[in-house]
Amino acid sequence: MKKIGKFLSSMPFAITLLVLLAAACAFSSTVSQGQAYEYYAAQYGERTAGLILALHLDDAFHSWWFIGLSVFLCLNLLCCNLIRLPGLLKRVRTFAKPDGTTASNATAEAEGTGDPHRLFAALHMPSVRESENGQLYATGNRAGFWGAWVCHLGILLLILGFALGQITMKQYTVYALPGQTKGMDDSGLQVTVDDLQILRAESGAVQQYTAELTVLDPVNHTEEKGTTGVNAPANLYGYKFFQNSVGWGADVRVLKNGQELQKEGLCVGEFFAISDKPELVIYFPAFYPDYSGEPKQSDPSLPVKDPAYLYQVYYQGQILGMNILKAGEELTIDEYTVLFDNPRNYTLLAVKRDVFTWLVLLGGLVTLAGLVMAFWLQPRAACAVKEGENWHVFGRCQKGGVLFREEFLKAAAETGFTPCKSSDIEGDDA
Amino acid sequence: MMLQAENTLFTIVVIGYFILTALNFAFVILKKDALAKVAFGIQTGIFLLHTAALVLRGIGAGHWPMTNQYEFATSFAWALCLVSLVFIRKYRFPVLGAFSSPLILLMIGYAAMQSREVKELMPSLRSSWLAFHVSTAIIAYGSFGVAFVLSLIFLFRGRIKGEGFWGQHIPQPEKLDMISYRSVCLGMLFLTLTILTGAIWAEQAWGSYWSWDPKETWSLVTWIIYAIYLHLRIRRGWRGKAAAWFAVIGFICVIFTYIGVNTFLPGIHSYA
Repeated sequence: MKKIGKFLSSMPFAITLLVLLAAACAFSSTVSQGQAYEYYAAQYGERTAGLILALHLDDAFHSWWFIGLSVFLCLNLLCCNLIRLPGLLKRVRTFAKPDGTTASNATAEAEGTGDPHRLFAALHMPSVRESENGQLYATGNRAGFWGAWVCHLGILLLILGFALGQITMKQYTVYALPGQTKGMDDSGLQVTVDDLQILRAESGAVQQYTAELTVLDPVNHTEEKGTTGVNAPANLYGYKFFQNSVGWGADVRVLKNGQELQKEGLCVGEFFAISDKPELVIYFPAFYPDYSGEPKQSDPSLPVKDPAYLYQVYYQGQILGMNILKAGEELTIDEYTVLFDNPRNYTLLAVKRDVFTWLVLLGGLVTLAGLVMAFWLQPRAACAVKEGENWHVFGRCQKGGVLFREEFLKAAAETGFTPCKSSDIEGDDA
Repeated sequence: MMLQAENTLFTIVVIGYFILTALNFAFVILKKDALAKVAFGIQTGIFLLHTAALVLRGIGAGHWPMTNQYEFATSFAWALCLVSLVFIRKYRFPVLGAFSSPLILLMIGYAAMQSREVKELMPSLRSSWLAFHVSTAIIAYGSFGVAFVLSLIFLFRGRIKGEGFWGQHIPQPEKLDMISYRSVCLGMLFLTLTILTGAIWAEQAWGSYWSWDPKETWSLVTWIIYAIYLHLRIRRGWRGKAAAWFAVIGFICVIFTYIGVNTFLPGIHSYA
């Protein structure tokens, strides 16, 4: 068991995992994710497509092998932190003791009649203590010892928060024209888009999309209202509503023998069946806001100038035909007349509830704090021993020995000491 | 008006970086320390002009000037210039300028080849997180660029025998390794901030703090490469040369994340 723990917490294992994760991420980013076999077959050939699906490279970041690597990384971080903790505590305690810094482990040393207090202050160690035998000593940046440990803890929290979020997250996509109400699947809630505003600059470029929403809980007969915009989600019933994108839609009216049979809002990409003849279906694949313009674009941010509606008609699943209807034109199928009008934007909302986002954020902040501690807080200690009229001063730095030695010797020279020897010790920069 | 002034300043800055590189070459060929002092002064001057150009660009465009390839490239060159100035001064290491100025020149040259047209920002880019996210990214990239240069110098240092010009002007390998480590530390901290601020922003804009978008994925790859570098440095036998090679690989990843991803792997960061 001890051997397994030691292996799991070992540095070579950590480096191997990091190399594998980097390679997996880099390689997976070159394969288009979430596509069907046909797509990969067309792109890379049938044999490679089969291999991509067999190795789950089509959804690499959720594959068993990627999750496995992440689990091993967590185990590595956990074991590393647990196994290192007692040694780390001992090291921090030893470092603070007056005999923790001696001639044998010093990074640099000097002697002279200068004032050790001034030297300690110059080395950013103003809090000086005196031992029982009259030795002066000071330490600084001891929190730096904890840097790597805290950083590992932060990464663990981050991965844990991400994994829990992925497992428990509730996510829905709702798209609706202003005035329409749509259900949110198993949440039981209904969303009504009361209004959709597009704020434009003088140049016509879109600056913001803003949707007014009403979310209804039909069971408790309560409702909450809110406004969502890009970079400004609405928080309703514990769900966040994100203004994700917009598209085109229009009203479709069906007349039967001149009498209105049905009227509904239809978004591009939607079908609707004739109410009294469900085998007759109209599909609305595209809308062109400016059909006379060249090239023909269906960009949802363009203003409507010369609207044209592309439609397809299906009967019992077989396509009967497709064409363009311009404003005021009608489509006649037997006794039915179909008209498109009132083109306008629909909004596509991403709705999400992830109760572990805070844990990911906390993990990120802890990681950052760990990095700051590891990189900028270099644990350092110094002591001064009285030898006759002279003080013998030692300095020790756990990280960045060569730079500390320079700093120590410079400070020593400025405070009346003469370098007597310089040595370097192996640092611990992780 | 502002953009015209920025255009003129940018041209002056490009010429300035060219002169700086030539001066640094003259310093290492003629081996005259006075030229290094002049080069440092010129680099400081160009840096100030470059800062002014970026400020003018920001005012003229009406947004933080880091939203397209041109703006990011010129900001990247600016960050390289800033970090190398700091390291030259802090560690009294003028030869660093000789090695870093060609990299700055390459980056500003890349910026000069990009379209300088100012476009309206798309709604998702209209966020106060833009300034934090992209500013931290350029500082991270600038630091990694300097670490890359320092690692090249480290690898070059290994071939130097005796105490000639190079032996006197390039610190001992141990110190060089430590300076490179400091630069990677700075980059690593800012890259972590970049990823973190990007995640918070993505959560606000798209409802997902991490989508495995190619840019995000390659930022993570870069982060992991430098994490490997940091771990390698504390293993006996890997410190020095092996770690220096990882710093070089890390910077290749940085460049791929910046230019390669936009070119070969488009995603939701395609504008960047």
